[in-house]
Amino acid sequence: MFEQLKDIIVNYVEVKKEDIRPESRFIEDLGFTSFDFMSMLGEIEDALDVEINQDEVVDIRTVQEAVDYLSTLV
Amino acid sequence: MVELRSTIYELLVKAEEAYGTQDAIRYKIREDGQSGKKETKVEAKTYTQLRQDSGHFSMALEKLGEQGRHIALVGATSYSWITGYYGIVNGGSVAVPLDANLPAEDLCELIDRADVTTLVYDESKANVALMAAEKCPKLVNIIAMDADTAVPNALSMWELIGDAPERTDYEPKPEDLATIMFTSGTTGKSKGVMLTHRNLAENATALDMGYAPGMVVMTVLPIHHAYCLSMDILKGTSIGAIICINDSLLRVAKNIKLFEPNMILMVPLMVETLAKKLEEASFIPAALVKAKVFGKQFHTVCSGGAYLNPAYIDLFKKYGITILQGYGMTECAPVISTNCNDAFKAGSIGKCMPNCEVKIVDEEIWVKGTSVMQGYYQMPEETAQTLEEGWLKTGDLGYIDEEGFLFLTGRKKNLIITPNGENVSPEEIENKLSANRLVQEVLVRDSEGVIEAEIFPDYEYAAKKKIKDLQAELQSIIDAYNKAAPLYKRVFKLKVRDVEFEKNTTKKIKRF
Repeated sequence: MFEQLKDIIVNYVEVKKEDIRPESRFIEDLGFTSFDFMSMLGEIEDALDVEINQDEVVDIRTVQEAVDYLSTLV
Repeated sequence: MVELRSTIYELLVKAEEAYGTQDAIRYKIREDGQSGKKETKVEAKTYTQLRQDSGHFSMALEKLGEQGRHIALVGATSYSWITGYYGIVNGGSVAVPLDANLPAEDLCELIDRADVTTLVYDESKANVALMAAEKCPKLVNIIAMDADTAVPNALSMWELIGDAPERTDYEPKPEDLATIMFTSGTTGKSKGVMLTHRNLAENATALDMGYAPGMVVMTVLPIHHAYCLSMDILKGTSIGAIICINDSLLRVAKNIKLFEPNMILMVPLMVETLAKKLEEASFIPAALVKAKVFGKQFHTVCSGGAYLNPAYIDLFKKYGITILQGYGMTECAPVISTNCNDAFKAGSIGKCMPNCEVKIVDEEIWVKGTSVMQGYYQMPEETAQTLEEGWLKTGDLGYIDEEGFLFLTGRKKNLIITPNGENVSPEEIENKLSANRLVQEVLVRDSEGVIEAEIFPDYEYAAKKKIKDLQAELQSIIDAYNKAAPLYKRVFKLKVRDVEFEKNTTKKIKRF
């Protein structure tokens, strides 16, 4: 899941795959805007064939938190 | 040619007469497909269905004894929400659209302050209904938009609609109160703006923007917001548009491909994100990029709600997309002025709506006309401060050029009064600084007697341009601005942020 997510993240922000760590924060460390982040989650829905509830993702800050959340869906 | 409508009832009835069998609303549903997996399908409702369903809901509310009372709606944009809204206002009650993103406690306070007696909610807001049932003593009925069983004693909206005959014997008058809308102001306590049928219907129909029936619009902004309700829903209905519901901000890109809209109403933050997507692919021919991101059929973005950097207008033009920047406020139902294809000037907020007039008093924009609200609900003092002999004092600063185009320069209450008594509009400086691509967000304020700029830089852009010393680079932007600015407007302090500014639900930066 972590590897898959890294592949998607590099399409949104200018960051090298090897620099993405579980503790990286989307907005502060990786340079996402809130709307970028939303758009990426939309793409993840397709890539993993899951349905994400917008209300449940507002507290996600780090890559690890996203991995944990997505793991509950697949 | 769009004719002026003076009630929301007339607006819907005439649209139904003209476009009856055409789709009015399209939305996504998820259902089990043949493979056993969930599949997304598009469902549609025609203008006739919308008129009939809302007519039944009007009657259902009358049977509950709710005609003339205040009925709140809370939930995401949906066919039920829109049916509920038309049913409430066209049956002679007052709709109170609430911001679904607010905490339940705040919503209960608004329900109470607006004297709401019936709450209509969607499944995702069952917690609000549960809390309101306990905490709002004036609330008599709770109606669920979906088949929700989480709230005891909640009535089912669609059962009520199925059981009631269509209401056909009642027609609201233009001066009847239709809606109380709470302002989502960036400061202070939110106020309930009272808007009549005439306010809303004439605002939606006064200006013919030249759109043909059957135009596809996709609605992405929150529906409780005046700009979305008036422009997407009411104006969309009046011109016979096909209104497609974007189910989540997560899926804007995906839904553009699904619904193939011609036009989307946006706030500037969304324009900026899409601009980045376009820029990333700048080495690919423009027509291809446009087809991939928006589809070939897409032609217009209407932008409002905050300042938009005019550079984006030029950027989108390269891709054959027109950005029409407008200006308004809830108190004016809400559009005050807008650019349109026949009258367009980059950097301006367009010409005043035909049903209104504008004058400038001590640099402040004042508006008079049929869009101007009746006042703030149960706030006589605030109303008296805002309305003067029919003129709405917008609190915005601006000017009108010789051709009648309106320009904004700032917000009166944000004015910085310098120690030597000069007035400085922070927005004017913010707009100048944010013209630089490195400046993603900026807030200008007074800091111990000098002007300070706090900047959230575009870190991605900085990385791309290999900018190492961000502080120095931002300082050089400020230096360049200062060189051209009079002494009292110069920025003497710079603060660099590493996170975005906090925004309110309409994506405006919270100033205080």
